[in-house]
This record gives sequence, C-alpha cells and structure tokens, in this order.
Amino acid sequence: MSTAISVAALGELIAGWIGQGKLVAAPVQVGDRLLYQALSSAAAAVFDARRRPANSIKEFLFPRHEQIFRYRLEGKEIALSDVVPEEREQIVIAAKPCDAAALPILDRVFNWDCEDSFYTARRARTTVVTLACAAHDDACFCTSVGSGPADESGSDAMLFDRGDGQFEVKAITEKGRALFGVSSAEADDGTLKRAPQTKFDPARVARYLEANFESPLWKDLTLACLGCGACAYTCPTCHCFDIVDEGNAAGGARVKNWDSCQFPFFTLHASGHNPRSAQPQRQRQRLFHKFSIYPAKFGSTLCTGCGNCERNCPVGLGVLKVLQAIDGEARRLDEKEPVQA
Amino acid sequence: MARQDDWMKKNLYKPDLMEVLEVQRQTPDVKSVRVRFRDGDRARDFSFNVGQFGQFSVFGSGEATFNICSSSNWKDYIEFCFRRTGRVTETLWQIGKGDTIGFRGPYGNGYPMEAWEGRNLIFIGGGIAMPPIRCAVWYALENRAKYGDITIVYGARTVADLTYATELDEWSWQERVRVVRCVDPGGETPEWKGEVGLIPTVLERAQVPAQNAIALVIGPPIMIKFTLPVLDRMGLKEEDIYTSLENRMKCGVGKCGRCNAGPVYVCKDGPVFTMKQLRSIPNDF
Repeated sequence: MSTAISVAALGELIAGWIGQGKLVAAPVQVGDRLLYQALSSAAAAVFDARRRPANSIKEFLFPRHEQIFRYRLEGKEIALSDVVPEEREQIVIAAKPCDAAALPILDRVFNWDCEDSFYTARRARTTVVTLACAAHDDACFCTSVGSGPADESGSDAMLFDRGDGQFEVKAITEKGRALFGVSSAEADDGTLKRAPQTKFDPARVARYLEANFESPLWKDLTLACLGCGACAYTCPTCHCFDIVDEGNAAGGARVKNWDSCQFPFFTLHASGHNPRSAQPQRQRQRLFHKFSIYPAKFGSTLCTGCGNCERNCPVGLGVLKVLQAIDGEARRLDEKEPVQA
Repeated sequence: MARQDDWMKKNLYKPDLMEVLEVQRQTPDVKSVRVRFRDGDRARDFSFNVGQFGQFSVFGSGEATFNICSSSNWKDYIEFCFRRTGRVTETLWQIGKGDTIGFRGPYGNGYPMEAWEGRNLIFIGGGIAMPPIRCAVWYALENRAKYGDITIVYGARTVADLTYATELDEWSWQERVRVVRCVDPGGETPEWKGEVGLIPTVLERAQVPAQNAIALVIGPPIMIKFTLPVLDRMGLKEEDIYTSLENRMKCGVGKCGRCNAGPVYVCKDGPVFTMKQLRSIPNDF
C-alpha cells in the first residue's frame, strides 16, 4: 500500500529534520538555475519532477574542498591534528535518481583496496530521498546506461509526483523507512513510460573504444572543447581530486580539492613531459574512464546519463553527442565487418 | 577519545612524520635526503620493496612523489632524491638536518627481485633515473649470490649532472659489475674518462651480453623510446624489459584519477611494468 504525502507535509518533515539539527539539502531556485543546496528553511526546497539541478549531490559526500588534516610548526617539530568530519546526519531530498545512482558508483572508487574514510563517514550518515522524474530533456540519456527515471540505485526512499500536489512515497532501505515510517510500496509505473529513448549502445561503444584509442574521430569530435572542466564539476560520478597544502610553513591544512582530467596541468610531469598535452587527448581520457576503464574494473559505466555535462557545457558538447557519434561509427564498422558471435 | 584514535588510524592521507638525518647535494639541481620515522614503532614495523615509492611532503608546500632510493635491507632510515623543479622541491631544497617532513607509503608494486634471481641484470638510466635504479643495484649487491652479472649504463647531460657518482665508482670495483658512464655530447670535461653520446648509442656500443638477462630501463620517455630498439637488437624479449613509470600522482592509492592510463592506475598496478605489459595498454604515457 502506498502512502501519499502533500508538499506541505514534506515541508513540515523537512522543518522537523532541520529542527533536530540535521543537515537537509534539496534543489533550490538560485537565479534562473536550480541547484542542490543545504536548506536554511524548508520553504526553499523545490519539488519539481520535471527539472534537473545544474549541480549534483556528490558534493554532500565528496565536498569540492575538504581539509584532511592540519599542521603546525613547533620549533623544528611539526604537530599534526586530525580533522574529524562533521557528525551531523544529513538528508538529501528531491534528488534526481541519476544523482543517487552515482553514489554506489562512487562507493566503489572510495572503498576498493583501501577506504577513504572522509567519504565513507559522510556516506554512512547520509539518507537520500529521490524524486522520480516526470519529464526529460534532450540531454537526458539515463536509459542508455542502464538507469532510468525511477532508478532506485542509491536511493533510500523515492517520491513520485502524482500531479495533484501529493507525492507517493516508496521506502527502499531501512534508512528510508526510518524517515517516512512506511513500508515499501509499489511505485506508480507511469513514470517509466516517460523515460527517454535509448540513444546509444554502451557495449558497442566500449568495444569501439577498446579498438580505437588512436582514432582521428577524437580530434574531430572534441575540437570545440574549451577544457573548462564544467562537465566534470557538475558530473555526479566524476571524482578526480587534487591534494594541496593551504597555509604557510608555520601552520595550515592539507586539503583535498576537486580536480579534472580536462585540465592540462592534471598530468603534467615535473620534467615538462605531458602524456595528455592536447584537449582531444583529455576528452578521450574522460570518455575512456567512464565507458571503458571503470566498466572493466567495476562492471558498470561511470555515468548515470544525467546529461549535466551537456547542459553545463559552454559549447554544448557533453558526452552524449560524442558517444552517439562513436556509436554511429561503430555501427557502420559492424555492418562492414560483422562481429563474430 | 577512542573514536578520535580510530579516526586517526583510518585517515588514508595523513603522513608519518620523518626527521631529516642528512641532505646531500648530488648535482647542481639534485639533492638526496636521508630520513627516519619520528615514531619508533612505525620505524620498527616499516618495510618496503625496492622499486616502491612514497608521497613525501613539506608542510605548507605540499606532497610530491619520489621513489624510495635506498635498499630495503637498510633498516634505520630511507632515502629519496629530488630535482629542484617545482613548488614542493623548491621548499625541499631548503631543508636540512633535524627538519621534519611527511611521508606516506610505501606505494606501488616494486621490482620483482625474486623473479630476477639467477638472471644477469642490465640497468639503464638517464639523468634523475639513477635513484630508482640505485635501490635495486644495492639490493642485488647485498644478495650477490642470487644474481648474475650486473651492468649499469648510466648517462646524464653533463658530468656535473651525474647523480651518485661516488657510488658508481664503488660499484665498478666489485666483481662481475660493469659500469658504463656517459654524458651527452658537449657535456664532457677535459678529465672525463667515460663515454660521450646518448644512452641508446652508448648501450649499443657497449655490447652487453643479453643472454639470460633482464633490463631495467628508466629515464625520459624519449630515451626509453630509442633504447627499446637497441634492446630488441641485443635479443632481449619484451617480457624481460622493465621500466618504472613516472606519471604524476596525488593520492597514491588508486582514487584521485591522476595516474590513470588505459586500464591501469600507475600507483596501484605499477609503477613497475614490463614492456610487454605496456604494449597492451594504450599509448597514453
């Protein structure tokens, strides 16, 4: 049995969580953009199943700037002190399923082999409530990477917009049940009928990538790229980071900052040699990481099809257009030389 | 309080503090540094494999990646070597005995010293590549019976740019060790008794027997590129030619994405690879 909840009641719930000292984040209207932000009041939360925020929820688990320890010079001795991440519970509500689906993907990066406790500590005290999508735009391609407008991956609970100011609630995990006190309910599958059509075949793309590292296509397809990194910063799954010191010899902090493989300094050796000195090589790296390297290592694409890379790109590039071109090329090649079954 | 301690144990990015015991100037722009863990327990428990690396840091300037260039048999300290070339190394250049630096590691796979047992070892290095070769040379000399003939072909731009010059002499006096030193044309001095020429040429001229040999080649990409055909002509197989990659790194533990090239994370899967392995990886180095 599903349990409907009104926007007003959601607002009361949020106000209650804020009152309990929890950090609550939700899409907020900022100028002409919708952005995920920490709420100071429940009224700012926007429950819009038809629009996608310009950023992603990764910043609540993997902040764009984070101290990892502090240091202080005492004579010739250095004293290090730990930075314990804030212990507040946090709830991200009205998140897009394509943002939540990025979390299990990031979990693997930050946990494989050894654990990044900054990420895992935040992850453990975060509850994600998604709002299933009621619409998509030209940049959306979740269904092409095995996700969809009601993908439950990474969600603790999911809301479905009934269109009459009421939301169905589906609790997915214990954390979700703890928030809404309802047992798992069947979702309104009307959402799924509004999913974007699949726009390319990720397996065919991966096959092409493996065989075509040196393709003239890279230069042709990515010539317009300015290398600004907006795609990576607004991507729910991009996770590259830098480690730098802020302060001086007397004292300061070592910090983890977001970084991007789109920047020329990213791979610059001290010797001056740069393995990826040109923008098409850096674009190629980003696509390979998402559609060949990560899948080979962890079994899924490093992409949830949110389309933020295209929406935020100053030249309208994004991965979808490049992938579609690659898929088209791969299909042409397959037709010429069919893959052996 | 217990929680705080747990947290401290779990902070992947927090370095150990190390005391600088000695700094030696190797060349006009290269210094070597000997450091010891400030924490006695950590010093006692620490071990590594030659060929592994660490993230060394000067607080206030940041971290940089260097090979641990001392032998893994040396228990009281570790050494690393750096060229004055950027923000971190500029500050490192100023440090002296008694100063404190940070260290995270050891990271990476290291050289397969056990697999090399019974083989002749050919070490080929250019410029700042001597330190990552030096640790393996000392390790082999300290386990002399396990290895065959050792040949070291080492070159730099000028005579003054040769690192570990006295150790090269020391090695050359040992039995079944041959040291071939070279400098680039124009880099020689009137007293210079070594070879003049680029590494690939000097290597070919040296006529090193390749039978039952492995080669470890480290240096600038351009040097490696022109050395590989020589090794091929000498008869070495791709699976017997090793290198240590020098990709830029930050985390050292396969997360930050920086050293990723094709399917490998150089920090986790390397930095030591055979040429056969590298051939199967896209040329993104």
